[in-house]
Amino acid sequence: MPGGAEMPAMSDQSGNDEDPGPYAAVHARPEGDATVARLALTAVEMGYEGLVVRNHGDADAEPLPAGNDGTDAEDGPSSREDPADGAYVPERVADAYDVDVVPAVEIRTDDRGQAAGLLSRYREERALVCVHGGPLNRWAVEDPRVDVLAHPMRGAGDVNHVVVKAAAHNGVRLEFDLSRVLARTGGERVQALRDLRKLREIVSYYDAPFVVSVDTDSYLGLRAPRALRAVGEVVGLPPGDVSAGLAEWGRLARRNRTRLGEDFIAPGVQSGRYEKVD
Amino acid sequence: MKHLPKHLQPRWRYLAVAVESPPDAAFDREAFQRACWYAAGNLLGDPGSADADLSVLRFRHPDGSSGGEGGDGADVRTGSAGAEATAIVRVRRDEVTRGRAALACVTRVDGTPVRTRVRGVSGTVRACEEKYLNPPRGVVEERTVAFAGADRPASARGRRVDIELADGCAGATELDYPGPD
Repeated sequence: MPGGAEMPAMSDQSGNDEDPGPYAAVHARPEGDATVARLALTAVEMGYEGLVVRNHGDADAEPLPAGNDGTDAEDGPSSREDPADGAYVPERVADAYDVDVVPAVEIRTDDRGQAAGLLSRYREERALVCVHGGPLNRWAVEDPRVDVLAHPMRGAGDVNHVVVKAAAHNGVRLEFDLSRVLARTGGERVQALRDLRKLREIVSYYDAPFVVSVDTDSYLGLRAPRALRAVGEVVGLPPGDVSAGLAEWGRLARRNRTRLGEDFIAPGVQSGRYEKVD
Repeated sequence: MKHLPKHLQPRWRYLAVAVESPPDAAFDREAFQRACWYAAGNLLGDPGSADADLSVLRFRHPDGSSGGEGGDGADVRTGSAGAEATAIVRVRRDEVTRGRAALACVTRVDGTPVRTRVRGVSGTVRACEEKYLNPPRGVVEERTVAFAGADRPASARGRRVDIELADGCAGATELDYPGPD
């Protein structure tokens, strides 16, 4: 089972232990205004090492298997799957722009039963599974298969100690969404900052895991990690936490890819060669 | 008025800023300056905004006038944006981080969505231009590409392609459509 609660004593089995750099979590076409390739190019330019494509399930950007890319083929990039509708080949984009492309999804529904069905389906397909915060906050943090609870404070959403404790217990990352802090002004920004502060206080009290993002659907909405650290400093989110939160996407992706791999049996147990004990 | 003695003169840093916007965007230095002040005022408050003292010294469109080379020479203060413009923004030395934060919050100029990115920071305008703003990005090139089931007009800058659709503009790259041949 990929996802799931963190096993603190277990080391990463991929053998690649250095910390990942910052990752940008975005919505691509058809939900946003740019293709995955454009977002990847922009993210690289801004200093990100990875791109998490987290379209909502009802406006999904479909990752295609690597063999399907049609490079050098007569009909160009896959005549059947149009990039305009969000189709992309993660490996192809990753090779072209030297960036890690993580196929993900954000489950958005008000119905827990439907959400559970979608979760089971996407868990095996995608490296990262997020849940659209709001009415499903409580449900999402109680399922260890969920990786990230996205923007839990947006709209009618709210968190309390119960939600954050459950998130910490189940290893569900809570998202600090900076998009409203950046783009809104006046009362709406005050609300966004108030929500951010509340979330930050509860999260740091329970030492819950978290991610940071500019949850954007436009290539014009991305901001550099360094700019986000500067904004974090102004609004009271320590720059170290911003960096850690941006890199957490990469750590999650790496962990889940290991778990989706064929050798994985359970945390700390895998088939294959003996591991050196040191 | 007599110049201040050197040790009392304010110390500045110059931020080389890239401003990306949709290809049809048209705004000038004044509009960008207003957006910067507005963002700084909103994020940092009046005192913080006064401390940071963001002022846009140069604003240049890649295919705008090419005068102003040589630093202190002709000061290119005009030019309209669209695609990727560059600007030099002056900020007080101790306030670079807050200046960065304010610039990150510039999300719209005259209603046009923009993406700002600080390419680098220098102690002089000339160094800022030479290190971070040269050479200018490739010019915009009009072409027609196959996208979303039809041939559509697009404007290309290097690997970036902005494609005009019925409901606005789509950001893409050369990976997203079949090559011309």
